[in-house]
Amino acid sequence: MTVDRARAVIVEFLQRANKEFGELTDDLSLYGGGLELDSLEAAELSAVLEDEFGSDPFSTGDTLPETVGEVLAFYNAA
Amino acid sequence: MTAPIEARVALVTGGSRGLGAGIVEDLLAQGYAVATCSRSRTDQVELWEKEHPDRFHFQTADVSVEADATRYVKDTVARWGRIDVLVNNAGVAGEGMIALTDDGMIDRVVDLNIKGTLYVTRAASRTMLARRSGAIVNISSVVGLSGYRGLSVYSATKAALDGMTRSLARELGSRGITVNSVAPGYLRTEMSHGLDADQLKQIERRTPLGRLGDAEDVARVVSFLVAPENRFMTGQVLVVDGGLTA
Repeated sequence: MTVDRARAVIVEFLQRANKEFGELTDDLSLYGGGLELDSLEAAELSAVLEDEFGSDPFSTGDTLPETVGEVLAFYNAA
Repeated sequence: MTAPIEARVALVTGGSRGLGAGIVEDLLAQGYAVATCSRSRTDQVELWEKEHPDRFHFQTADVSVEADATRYVKDTVARWGRIDVLVNNAGVAGEGMIALTDDGMIDRVVDLNIKGTLYVTRAASRTMLARRSGAIVNISSVVGLSGYRGLSVYSATKAALDGMTRSLARELGSRGITVNSVAPGYLRTEMSHGLDADQLKQIERRTPLGRLGDAEDVARVVSFLVAPENRFMTGQVLVVDGGLTA
């Protein structure tokens, strides 16, 4: 299922980026107070997702995702 | 997507003739898979297609058009699985006194030399970021460093590329991506900055090494910069001009 795969890609990315994280709840922020991604890490996540799925919510969505749930929703809607 | 090719994959914009063709030829000789593009095909392109059917690809594209630039990059990734090297070579010269320069010439030179380079780099950097690896070379020019009468628009665009090189080197270095510029001097190619024969003879006389450059002179430096062994040099502008600006 695409959403499950998207969640797995995010986990792989966070591990590669040496990010500490617990459960990826839908309301977990990608930025401050959550995963603490900086701008380059957000760009990298965008690229990794596009590489896997051919599109990503950062570069093709109407609004930039702020939370894990908003990233997953992009693939849920696809 | 097909299985990733074993050879290192290089994108060279504007590789159908002149300096770009010299860069493509050098990378092919080293075993790279090379995808190049330009607005029209040439006999040289058809020769490479016959000689290297598995690791040469040509695509008609005007990279000053965002959709063309992005499609060119994405098609290459779809074909070969990744991009290891990007050489931003596509460019156009424009000669004339600034006081008499028309809007069309400014747009044409800025759109291809700056915007086109940014479009291709944006798309290629994404696939490099995903793999945390890559080498980018921007072909700028000595006229962006030293200036030349009548080449203000062209010089402005080439100096812009050197600025882009330094910023991108800082931006992408932590992800294993190097970004450098090669600034050629005056070459014996079809596009020597729009200069006439008398101007080129004068430049030749003033050049310590006593001649104009060849595409191969520049291609060798590009190959050095993109070699996988070169992993600690980034954000630099290498001048290849026979000593003219020494």
